[in-house]
Amino acid sequence: MDFLSLAMNTAKSLGADYADIRIQRSSTEMIFLRNLSLKNTSLNEIYGYGIRVFKNGAWGFAHNNVFTEDAINKTVKKALVIAKESGRVKYGNGLTLAHERGYIDSYKTPFNLDPFDVPLSEKVEMMMGTNKTMLSFAEIKRAVFMLECRKDEKLFASTLGSRLDLQTLYIEPTITATAVTETDSQSRTFSQGGQARGWEWVQSLNLADKAVQISEEAIMKVHAGSLGAEERKTLLLDPNHMALTMHESVGHPTELDRVLGWEADFAGISFATPEKIGNFQYGSKIVNFVANNKLEGGLATAGYDDEGVPNQKWYIIKDGILQEYGNTRATAPIIGLEMSRGCNRATNYFDFPINRIPNLYLEPGKELLTPQELIADTDNGIYIEGRGSFSIDQHRVNFQFGGDMFWEIKNGKKVRPLKKILYKSNNPEFWNSVDAICDDRSFQTFGVTNCGKGQPGQRGRMTHGGSLARFRNIRVGGSQ
Amino acid sequence: MITRQEMQKAADFIRNHVKADDFNFSIGGAEELFTRFAQNGITQHIAGDKINVNLNVSFENKTGEASSNNLKEDALKHLIKTAESMAKLNQPDPEFVASEPAHDLPDVDNFSRKTADLKVEKIVDDILKCVKNAEGKNAKLSGISEKRIQNSFLTTKNGFEGFDQSTSFAHSMTMKREGVETKVSRSVKDHSKFNLDELIGQLNSQFGSLKNPVQIETGKIPVILRPAAVLNWLFYLIWTYDRRTADEGHTPFTDQIGKQFFGKDFTFRSRLDDPDLEASKFDNGGIPAENIDWIENGVIKNMSADRYYARQNNLKALRPYNIIVEGGETSEAEMMRIVKRGVIVNNFWYIRPVDRKTGEWTGLTRDGVLYFEDGKIQKSLTNFRWNEILHKATKRILALGPVVQQEYYAKIPTLLIDDFNFIDVTTF
Repeated sequence: MDFLSLAMNTAKSLGADYADIRIQRSSTEMIFLRNLSLKNTSLNEIYGYGIRVFKNGAWGFAHNNVFTEDAINKTVKKALVIAKESGRVKYGNGLTLAHERGYIDSYKTPFNLDPFDVPLSEKVEMMMGTNKTMLSFAEIKRAVFMLECRKDEKLFASTLGSRLDLQTLYIEPTITATAVTETDSQSRTFSQGGQARGWEWVQSLNLADKAVQISEEAIMKVHAGSLGAEERKTLLLDPNHMALTMHESVGHPTELDRVLGWEADFAGISFATPEKIGNFQYGSKIVNFVANNKLEGGLATAGYDDEGVPNQKWYIIKDGILQEYGNTRATAPIIGLEMSRGCNRATNYFDFPINRIPNLYLEPGKELLTPQELIADTDNGIYIEGRGSFSIDQHRVNFQFGGDMFWEIKNGKKVRPLKKILYKSNNPEFWNSVDAICDDRSFQTFGVTNCGKGQPGQRGRMTHGGSLARFRNIRVGGSQ
Repeated sequence: MITRQEMQKAADFIRNHVKADDFNFSIGGAEELFTRFAQNGITQHIAGDKINVNLNVSFENKTGEASSNNLKEDALKHLIKTAESMAKLNQPDPEFVASEPAHDLPDVDNFSRKTADLKVEKIVDDILKCVKNAEGKNAKLSGISEKRIQNSFLTTKNGFEGFDQSTSFAHSMTMKREGVETKVSRSVKDHSKFNLDELIGQLNSQFGSLKNPVQIETGKIPVILRPAAVLNWLFYLIWTYDRRTADEGHTPFTDQIGKQFFGKDFTFRSRLDDPDLEASKFDNGGIPAENIDWIENGVIKNMSADRYYARQNNLKALRPYNIIVEGGETSEAEMMRIVKRGVIVNNFWYIRPVDRKTGEWTGLTRDGVLYFEDGKIQKSLTNFRWNEILHKATKRILALGPVVQQEYYAKIPTLLIDDFNFIDVTTF
């Protein structure tokens, strides 16, 4: 008997109300190059399985890396024992699971060139070349290239009869140039985050050109001026920057486990409570946030989540109004939903799946509008590119963001670079201040690979996206 | 859980089969139990053993590293093949450092039998006690209990060999009712020193003091930072407290070694001989831990340095393995009489750098804020955002409280700091 069937048969025979098993092999290649020194060149491979058992409305989860019949049976029993212990302190009258059926299916991230088949020497040579380009600028004192490639191969089975074979892959290259003067140190980074694509995507990025661009901009930035005291201003936020703001101020507040208070002790809760569904003006009428776990290249795109629920597409915010959450089979029924949206994901085999942000993006504007036209239409504002300082309260209301590159806009033109810029805002003021979004010709995605959440902590991943958008009347100023 | 003997056997296999010029081989094993609860019920319960096997090899100064979670001979052969193949394909590392030779390791006991023997039934009993306490206040409780046993082993081609075994138990809980929420947490290496009743008492005391929080105007306000807040800030100080980044001009610590850079009342150390605190015997490169004075009366004495940078600059390779901030004797009640008015902060949240060069950070308050005036607590406040140059804030320390054990690796006092820069408020 195969291990999947053995585990499910054992769970059923021991009286589990529901059980699933996820056998997972995760391979991660990391290369970290700093100033031509290879600080890390590593390949990590971990392989094991996690078994969830649901009994009398409570969970138990046990994991192991020993693949024998005896070990599988012991792991199922361990999960059942602690599920019974969980049942001594039940959540309400006990958790219930949203309806789902079994699936027999497979999914594989589409790609042409597997990054694990690209020789290390080729990767390092490319990275060294980029590093040398950055260091050829006299004021660039630190040049960093980080490359991460990760592959997850999962076999999933549940007592609902599911048998899933899921293979996902992503690559994340990041280059950073830091310029240093007598009095300051400023960095500029090129990164599109992680993308579920093959090595051909890295080849298409023209990283040699990007290395020149970010070096020049880091030097520009270190010599740039800043703003004075905070005042209300117009902001233009590029998709790369907005990925972070939407992650923090829309993605996390609309995770149903947070809304329900399941993260109250650590990551926090949410102001976006269930009575606001269908009536809360989260953003202006042109603001539409789409959850799409079928997004091509998306990091949450995997065919199914880690409890066998198919990937889906739905609106979180439609015409500015809060519509729905991202949820799981255990959280959805608590607010009266019959089905899960499939957002339960785990990072490694030994991790318990938790409610995660789906791939989430701001829908492009419906009117034709290019970034050049939007800048030309802005009299006085600040254009922010890339990610910088970020901090948000544990209810996801008050936040302060920086950025990676800043430009002052006067009379429809970028007139000078700036540094050390911060803006402060609140939910729902921020997304209600949007008065223009460029069309889909400038839509870009950014894959987050380091979303920290959970106790014990897990490193989740998902993709965000959007087109250049304009925010009016935001508090903007320079740092101290 | 993996034993020392199994680790030793794997190390022998590696020694006999590695062809590379040099190697570092480490094994980390852990037995873990995580019992997580929310809204007065257990929502997550995880049990299992983990293992991490890591091999770093080099041919001259070309390096490669591979890791896995398997100690079988086939897996170790694959590990060697992978690491050696990577090293052969790699380019030379100009900052390569040969592995450590044999060292005498400090005599530290990081293991507690009481913690190792802790059963799931006892943990669930204690959670039930905490939940009943919350229910008695019509409140909801969320948190986690974590039990961990860890074995660490490291050996090198050049003769280093070290083994360490440690235990820890941690319990945290957040109690919430309508607009009031507060949290307590504690971790210890020896579970017999964990006092649940005292922690519940602290939770009840904090919870009871918070009622109908109101907003006040922001500005530079004296603040009493309780130990959890001070420790939260220190994590971020430690993150940037590195000699090389200072010397290269990226942080405010450039050219400040030996100088009075922090306030004269601020002293921060790592110590091997504190019986309550874990002190791992060696780091992942094989450098033995030693007593370190990081900051003494505000003067920067030592900063973290890796083995390469330490060797190049005739420094010691150092890292903080535990955190002790020197305290004083001023009680919180006495602190409230030192300044006319101020706020008491239980904890900070989401601290991030605003400007690494100046050392400016942002963050928020969390888990309850109180306003005091004329020596008495007057009301609860909603949370603040602050932007502050934290090393400068240590120059405004007005008083220090007695040191308390906040975590199994940290002893921290309460601090009274003048003119803390609160710049915004939030709605709760």
